[in-house]
Amino acid sequence: MRDPLGGGGSSGADSGIERRILGTVLAIISVWLMLGARLFYLQVVEGDRYRVSAQKNSVRTHRVYASRGMILDRNGEILVDSRPAFDVRLVPDQAQDIDRTLNRLASLLGTERQELEERVGRPRGRFRFQPMLVAHDIDYAAAARVGARLWALPGVITRADPVRSYRYDGSAAHLLGMLGEIGERELKSKNFQGYRRGDIIGKDGIERLLDRQLRGRDGGRNVLVDAHGRELEVLSEISPQPGVNVVLTIDHRLQRVAEEQLELSGHNGAVVALDPRNGEVLALASRPAYDPNRFARGIASSEWQGLVKDPNKPLHDRALTGQFPPGSTYKVIPALAGLEAGVITPETTIRCGGSYRLGRGRYRCWKRGGHGPMNVHSALVQSCDVFFYKVAEMLERERRGVDELAYYARAFGLGSRSGIAALRETEGLVPTRAWKERRFREKWQMGETISVAIGQGFNLWTPMQLALTYGAIGNGGMRYRPMLVKRLESPFGELVEERLPEELATVPIKRESLEVVRKALRGVVHEPRGTGGRMRGLAGGVEAAGKTGTAQVVGMGKEYVKSEDLPEQFRDHAWFATFVPAQDPRIVVAVLVEHGGHGGSAAAPLARAVVDEFLSHQPDLVPPPEPDLGPTPPPRKPRSKPPTEADSTPPQVAAVGSSERPSPNRRSQN
Amino acid sequence: MPGIDRRLLQNFEWVLPMLGFALAGMGVINLVSADSSGDGGLSPAALRQLFWLGVGSLALLTVLVPDYRRLDRATPFVYVVGVLLLVAVLLIGPVINGSQRWLLVGPLRLQPSELFKLIIVLAFARLLSRRQSSRPIGLVDLAVPALVAAAPAVLILRQPDLGTALLVVLCGASLVLVAPIRLKTVAILGVTGLVGASLAWQFYLHDYQKERVFVFLNPERDPLGSAYHAIQSQIAVGSGGVFGKGWLQGSQTQLDFLPEQQTDFAFSVLGEEWGFFGAAFVLTVYVAMMVRGLMIARASKDAFGTYLTVGLVSIFFWMGTINVGMVLGVVPVVGVPLPLVSYGGSSMVTCMVAIGLMMNVSMRRYLF
Repeated sequence: MRDPLGGGGSSGADSGIERRILGTVLAIISVWLMLGARLFYLQVVEGDRYRVSAQKNSVRTHRVYASRGMILDRNGEILVDSRPAFDVRLVPDQAQDIDRTLNRLASLLGTERQELEERVGRPRGRFRFQPMLVAHDIDYAAAARVGARLWALPGVITRADPVRSYRYDGSAAHLLGMLGEIGERELKSKNFQGYRRGDIIGKDGIERLLDRQLRGRDGGRNVLVDAHGRELEVLSEISPQPGVNVVLTIDHRLQRVAEEQLELSGHNGAVVALDPRNGEVLALASRPAYDPNRFARGIASSEWQGLVKDPNKPLHDRALTGQFPPGSTYKVIPALAGLEAGVITPETTIRCGGSYRLGRGRYRCWKRGGHGPMNVHSALVQSCDVFFYKVAEMLERERRGVDELAYYARAFGLGSRSGIAALRETEGLVPTRAWKERRFREKWQMGETISVAIGQGFNLWTPMQLALTYGAIGNGGMRYRPMLVKRLESPFGELVEERLPEELATVPIKRESLEVVRKALRGVVHEPRGTGGRMRGLAGGVEAAGKTGTAQVVGMGKEYVKSEDLPEQFRDHAWFATFVPAQDPRIVVAVLVEHGGHGGSAAAPLARAVVDEFLSHQPDLVPPPEPDLGPTPPPRKPRSKPPTEADSTPPQVAAVGSSERPSPNRRSQN
Repeated sequence: MPGIDRRLLQNFEWVLPMLGFALAGMGVINLVSADSSGDGGLSPAALRQLFWLGVGSLALLTVLVPDYRRLDRATPFVYVVGVLLLVAVLLIGPVINGSQRWLLVGPLRLQPSELFKLIIVLAFARLLSRRQSSRPIGLVDLAVPALVAAAPAVLILRQPDLGTALLVVLCGASLVLVAPIRLKTVAILGVTGLVGASLAWQFYLHDYQKERVFVFLNPERDPLGSAYHAIQSQIAVGSGGVFGKGWLQGSQTQLDFLPEQQTDFAFSVLGEEWGFFGAAFVLTVYVAMMVRGLMIARASKDAFGTYLTVGLVSIFFWMGTINVGMVLGVVPVVGVPLPLVSYGGSSMVTCMVAIGLMMNVSMRRYLF
């Protein structure tokens, strides 16, 4: 046998291997001595810190949840916060006498012992060491009763976990969103890096958009727990960082009025209120809604299915994603297009005889008797259809026709998303020749331009787009990006981030043209034959401007059928858009009432209520009622105006009276 | 046949198997506690472990029979078959928990990478013992051994199983270090290793593996996520104190704070329930076993026997050091079991075969 290393140990002939094996022995021993030293350090030196054996204690690791930030409205009103939900748990191993403990718990909680016993069962094995849920979300008084007697309830633990609380139930549900457990797909997505299985996250709305900011950072805590489950000492802790508070641009007073009014109407619909000076959204309501509180701690699958399958689509936010034909609210577009293109001037007069002929087609005006001679002002005021049919025809013959209309519609941002920071928003639809050819492979017909010009046909707007369009008309042509979040604040009220208004573009329309339309919109409300009389007589003599709209749901036959006589699902959608004050507006409100009938009667009252609420908080426009100082003011109406202010509108009392009377043109237009 | 030589029984190695069985016995006792429902009864896992201890003992006896020098000759064949099995795992092995480590043979799950801890030792023992030159080993001489280690290591990394791949490389490297090697070569190897490790970090490690290293360096980084193992393990061991909480009394163990307490974290159960004395005793038994192994290596008549035994000891050394270090929080969390003690059939059989081979070398030290 060849043996290059020489003999083994006994022969002692080896030169190197002996030495190297000895070295290996030393290396092994020294490495393991180091392990032993570490063991000694952990168990003997630091042992006391960890050791809890004498009392059979244990170290528990809790996750310390960061408290989720609140969502507030612009005035600091809390819309969403977290309330503590008290739970009672029992560690079976630590309860010396389970039956006695359960008896006591039952009497303290005011429940049947049977019920508690079913919850706890008879756990075996390692489950005996785990806390079992005995009662969930008990009221504070019951929690206090149990808490005060913990000494007599070995093994019982009370705990308060934060539960999301939406203060006004279904209010602003679509906007605020809801919470739910993180899903598989979200765990894998980049947007949710750092999230863990089981995390409760925002599933919709602001809760989701600002989830990272709202949630803060969870901490952890190793706690020494004694045999009775009492926490003895915190061994180590990483404190959680609470989430920031989100201050919305929403004014909850307006939001509530909008929602109450929608509820009163009995119809589905939406209300959008904006500040036309900066794009801040003051109210964003959609009916029907749902109660996000139900999602706060998990929702039953049947209930969820119910929401998803409900034909009224309560999960669907009509304000941002509902798309409807705009009806006569659209007429501002052909009016502006006609003026800008030069096919009409403010003085151009067209006679309305109740219908309009084009080729072999006959297009009716909503007023069968006709409006007589109309210029652009009176046509908007009385919502004459024939005038705009003629404008449409002239645009088709002399200019680019429907594409001209589309150009001006797009100039107001119609047909595209507003850019609001929201999860979902739809674009609406602005039809063009090219669009029709792409979509239907058919040529555009002139008759279609005629329909489009009064807001029927292919046009689709969202309530938000209506509000933005009228806001831009009211403020002289500036388009803002609508914003929902005003700022983020630390839990102590320090400013973390401020969101500033963003100007998107100036509408490329001459000031004079806008002025003509703006004056006409004021006339809609304040002139005798205007369709928007509901907005007359605002507090403090403030003037309003607006436009009604009634969008057909079914195509018109030869006969003009009154919408009221149709079954609900075929009735017209009612629109109303208004900005107040008519000069230098501070608020623009857009209302949609699905199948509500006429805009002037079904939608305008909702806008009126929102505006009334708004004005009651504008002391410089509407002075607040003076405190009763003496005998000077008239006794029946406390609201008085400063004597210096000259005012052309009727006195307050009369104004209230007139708003209750329907305006002369109550049935408004088609 | 040398199998019936009387001298074989006279020279029978008793110390090594006694130490090994002592460790395995403690492992079972520990497992009863780690896996029990608190009553000390034999759980299915403990029974399975006893079964594998039996299988391992049979394997131990089997590898005693043939002269280990015949194994020397069989090594190339064994090596090729092993590599083919590793390839087969990647081709047809089922994906379990995100990795491909097993071959299904009827009801059994075979883990070829486990075998490779032994095969790499055989291969290196053969390579090093057949060296003709009397010069110390230089860099060029290491080309073949490097290839021999790299092939299985890469295949195992693909599974992916970082722990085992690392072990294969470490065991091979240990053998080279025990051979006559130039100091300069060792230095170059060290530098290459460092560079390779940093490259691997950059391009090869999975995020969860990097996270484990980060967490090891700073456990407070994520107390409930990746650092959970490390923190809980140290709390369990530390709370054991000098004398421990007693068998079945470890609150961390019984309350299930410890993850994988039957397998990779078996030693922390031991530390909690048996205290410093118990845990230090186990460490001492390990050291005794390794030293005994090295004594056998020294007494061996031929180079192959020496290298083989040193290599087998290195398996115990590296697995033990990594596992205990991980439990005590001085090594990042890598999935390496504690030999003979952790629950698991493959590891048990591998260790028993290793003990058997060392006994084989010891018994035949006077036979030629």
